[in-house]
Amino acid sequence: MTPVAAGVVDDELWSAVGDPTRRRMLDILLAAGGGTATSLSDQLPISRQAVAKHLAVLDRAGLVHGASAGRERRYQISEAQFARAVAQLTAVSDAWDRRLARIKRIAETIQRQQDDGRAPSHEGRASGV
Amino acid sequence: MQHHEHLAGAELGSIERELYIDATPDVVYEVISDPRHVTEWWPDGATYEAVAGSEGSISFGDCSQGGKLVGFAVVEALPPRSFSFRWTQEPGEAARRGNSLLVTFELEPSGDGTLVRFRETGFREMGWEAAVLEATYLDHANGWEHFLPRLVSYSESVGSRA
Repeated sequence: MTPVAAGVVDDELWSAVGDPTRRRMLDILLAAGGGTATSLSDQLPISRQAVAKHLAVLDRAGLVHGASAGRERRYQISEAQFARAVAQLTAVSDAWDRRLARIKRIAETIQRQQDDGRAPSHEGRASGV
Repeated sequence: MQHHEHLAGAELGSIERELYIDATPDVVYEVISDPRHVTEWWPDGATYEAVAGSEGSISFGDCSQGGKLVGFAVVEALPPRSFSFRWTQEPGEAARRGNSLLVTFELEPSGDGTLVRFRETGFREMGWEAAVLEATYLDHANGWEHFLPRLVSYSESVGSRA
């Protein structure tokens, strides 16, 4: 898998985790430490064939990897790629942190200007921040 | 029992923040709700009225050159206490749970300033399309390199108006 520059969204990764059934599958694989199409379909209201298709999507996105175990492939979470997905989601909340910081600066700038207008004799406010 | 909260957990279902702003609730309310202020800290364009039920849109970048226009609907506007809206729905489409993210600001007087509680919910219902939108937006409007010059000119224009 090609390394992707930090912050650039990988469409395949995002669409892979964008589906509720696949998120549920990831949860089960994480909780159980791995699983097969059969074991997953036992815990989900969908057929083994449908599970296999979802596993293929997760595999292509690099979120799981399979290894032959008897007659079936056994899948496990790929930690590094999973961590990347989580990091990209974190980027969304970081975006709000930056917006909130801008809100704070703008509001405080307006407030200072209003205060200065009202009490021009005061030489600045207490500077304890 | 939920062993793992990373993908299905709290930080995906919602984003919550609390911050103190050294400005009165009236000032903070104007900054978070008035479209003229909102475009100084978030989208490039905003067309809505800061009253409950108003439906409009916000835009990121130049819409004729790959920019993005999304719906924006004011849910509640109670100055200077709370302001909430839904966004990311298709423009013109009624906002509802499942097609949009809900953002809520609650303001509480605290000393000389305001305690702001921010919450955005709806990621779970929407999948990650909204998050992709935000991250895409981040790519071409990244932080202070983009916003600092605008903030400086903004402050100056506020100063000259006063």
